[in-house]
Amino acid sequence: MPPFIVTRGLVALVVVFTALGLAGPPLAEAQKKILNIAAKEPDTLDPHTSVLGQTQAIVRFMYRGLARFAVKDGRVTTAEVEPDLAESWTLSPDGTVWTFKLRKGVQFHKGFGEMTADDVKYSFERQMHRAPGTRFGVNLEVIKSIEVIDPYTVQIVLKAFDPIFLLRMVGYQQGYIVSKRAAEKFGEQFKWNPVGTGPFYFERQSPREKVVLKAFDKFYGGRPQIDEVNWFDVPEDATKLIGLEKGTFDLLYPEAVTADFADQVKRMGAVIDRMGPGGQERFYIDMTKPPFDDIRVRKAFMHAIDRKAIKETMYPGDLARVATSCVPDGYFGHVPMHLPEYNPDLAKKLLAEAGHPNGFTVKNYFISKSFFYPKVLTLVQEQLRKVGITVELQVVDHATYHDNIRKNLDPFVLYGGTRITDADPWLSLFFESKEIPDPATGNKGTNFAHYKGMDDLLAAGRVERDVKKRAAIYAEAQKRLDRDLVCLPLQDVPLQWARNPKRVAAPFPSDYGEFALHYSYNFPERLKVLN
Amino acid sequence: MIQYAARRLLIAVPMLLGAMSIVFFSMRILPGDPCVAMMGDQATSDALADCSRNLGLNRPLAVQYADYLWRSVRFDFGTSFRQGYPVSEYIGRMFPHTFVLVMASAVVAAVIGIPIGIASALQRRNPLIDYPLRIFALLGLSMPVFWLGILLLIVFSLRLDLFPLIGGGDLDGVIAMIRSGEAFVYPRDFFAAVGDVLYHLALPALALGFTLAATVSRLARSAMLEVISQDYIRTARAKGTIERKVIYKHALRNMMVPLLTIIGVFIAIALTGTVLTETVFTRPGLGKMLVDAIGARDYPLAQGAITVFTMVIIGVNLIVDMLYAVVDPRITFR
Repeated sequence: MPPFIVTRGLVALVVVFTALGLAGPPLAEAQKKILNIAAKEPDTLDPHTSVLGQTQAIVRFMYRGLARFAVKDGRVTTAEVEPDLAESWTLSPDGTVWTFKLRKGVQFHKGFGEMTADDVKYSFERQMHRAPGTRFGVNLEVIKSIEVIDPYTVQIVLKAFDPIFLLRMVGYQQGYIVSKRAAEKFGEQFKWNPVGTGPFYFERQSPREKVVLKAFDKFYGGRPQIDEVNWFDVPEDATKLIGLEKGTFDLLYPEAVTADFADQVKRMGAVIDRMGPGGQERFYIDMTKPPFDDIRVRKAFMHAIDRKAIKETMYPGDLARVATSCVPDGYFGHVPMHLPEYNPDLAKKLLAEAGHPNGFTVKNYFISKSFFYPKVLTLVQEQLRKVGITVELQVVDHATYHDNIRKNLDPFVLYGGTRITDADPWLSLFFESKEIPDPATGNKGTNFAHYKGMDDLLAAGRVERDVKKRAAIYAEAQKRLDRDLVCLPLQDVPLQWARNPKRVAAPFPSDYGEFALHYSYNFPERLKVLN
Repeated sequence: MIQYAARRLLIAVPMLLGAMSIVFFSMRILPGDPCVAMMGDQATSDALADCSRNLGLNRPLAVQYADYLWRSVRFDFGTSFRQGYPVSEYIGRMFPHTFVLVMASAVVAAVIGIPIGIASALQRRNPLIDYPLRIFALLGLSMPVFWLGILLLIVFSLRLDLFPLIGGGDLDGVIAMIRSGEAFVYPRDFFAAVGDVLYHLALPALALGFTLAATVSRLARSAMLEVISQDYIRTARAKGTIERKVIYKHALRNMMVPLLTIIGVFIAIALTGTVLTETVFTRPGLGKMLVDAIGARDYPLAQGAITVFTMVIIGVNLIVDMLYAVVDPRITFR
């Protein structure tokens, strides 16, 4: 009778399922040191063409720059640099000509020969000439010309003195040196045929699955201990955690480290490597849009927000630090600001003074559904409600959010990110008047506060050669932000990787042992697989 | 029949064109600029202008549309904004992964769903069998595939360590071996590779198949109910034919026709199911690719993927219509 049909079907399914399970995985390859990383898939392996975190992280395994962040007292700092592919450098007395002596005998991957001054010139010029897809040319606009003196000497002439030029030469984003021969040979396809001088070379990619890198025998710093790196495309943090616990992965590059994520990592005996300076989450208030064009309303807004509570809810304990300035800690020029303390009563009083005794409503406030945005904004929404400011949220996807804030649709904008660790590029992007977004002219800049109050200081800072005077200029800039109340920094969130310490040893302490701008370990070649 | 097929193919052309136009314009109506999506927090105005120019997005919409259609006619879907791959090559690499997942879950869904549907129809007056089976169907319908997927991963992959956590196995390798003929020269290697693909396929196929099984069982139940109320079944029973023979020989064959009609719909449901399944199990495939492409506003990739989805569904429906004649000789094509 009929149940036999059910039983037969189910028995067959169970047999197949069990057989597949018991058959198990194919035998592992013999005792190779393999590092398995769970991250998202990079969109390219050409280091000059992507701003995505995972891409910038993986290219650090394959490329190097003329300089690198210096190791000081057993930690890597972004405040100083030291030579890497260059052996040494000198600056002309007028401050506009840098001469770099290159290290001899540095080899490119896959037989593309020795790195020479031609490769250095090519690597920067392709970005300066805005070769299709390149993203960081803007960081090299200070360069007037590049001259090859001999195969091991390159001279870079600047349009004017640039106080942060050496920071630009560090191996991240625009600073990576690519093989001229390979880039010209592969053209557009260089993005999946990458050739650099780093400790690992690209072997293959299975789209939507993994990228495989192999140890480069001729790496000038010596062959890495790890033989192979598997960079898996794992979009879900939950899956990454299961994989870390199971042993499928040794290192995780998570989308976001929440308290829950950190707890689970700790519970399974893994560690979180925290690297500075990380990203800062902050508000820019559009000072041209009523009612925020009244400074009392901006002040009330700031008094209404309990930054400590937000930080503790979002990133309890060590997961982040309450920000102390609109120029993040760890950036040259940073000084602590005097930000309005949490005081809802004072906020209400200020609102009443400004003609809003019953508060007001912000309609159609757009917020991205990705990352930290919705969580921070709902906390802020609740705090603002207590002083009478109602925010009607509209959750949109990340791309739409970025589009809308550039159309000035939000009167205050929540924003995050990392830049070159110096006050000049940072303040220029967020407070220089030429960066005010304007849909009418198509300007998609990031001065969401519509601030015009520090152009003179920024211009002065760019030509100042005295380090102390430069620092004073940026201190003054932060004072003006104190005065005008257009920016409220919330928290500085470090870059964080999760690591299984029984499987992989890292060369620097877990807690801010490294500062970096490439979303990765500074020296992937010094990671060690333990068994 | 050939004439019928040709006519159907002709009708498919405007359908395809409609689908392609809808996706072209809806991608552009969606707020969010591909360049901003690509650069995120680091987009400067200069970089954005450069990017739009490089991707050809500064051209008038009509020009972009005409260009897209003209290229599509030649099966050139352009190049992915993000990854720089030719879209057709990219889809070519992803399609087999989604194809095997859909096929394997169809098998799981059929093996679980059809017998349950039949049993529940035949035993509809026996609450001890019918009720649990109907509850099972309800469970399958209400259980989201991502939830079941994570549950399976935790139990079978993390705790019991029977199955892998991620990946789709070396399907590219299997296909390459078939193409080069190596599969016949080194059958052992070939079967090992196939085994690895199946090993990676087991959990995702089970998860997706199980959620689909519920739909299948409900359809099978109603198909069987209809068939067993027919006169010829009563006649067969009256003749004293044993029940097993009545079911297998007379009822089962005849219920296949109504079941066939839903295969087209079923494939469409399964294709949408692959989106979540591929994400949870971190498998390469078209579904995951499509969602990422839409999120990243990667117009060419999203357009290409939807065109392929549309073609698959049109193709499957055509094949199903052809199969009617094979299954039921009374049907002719006009």
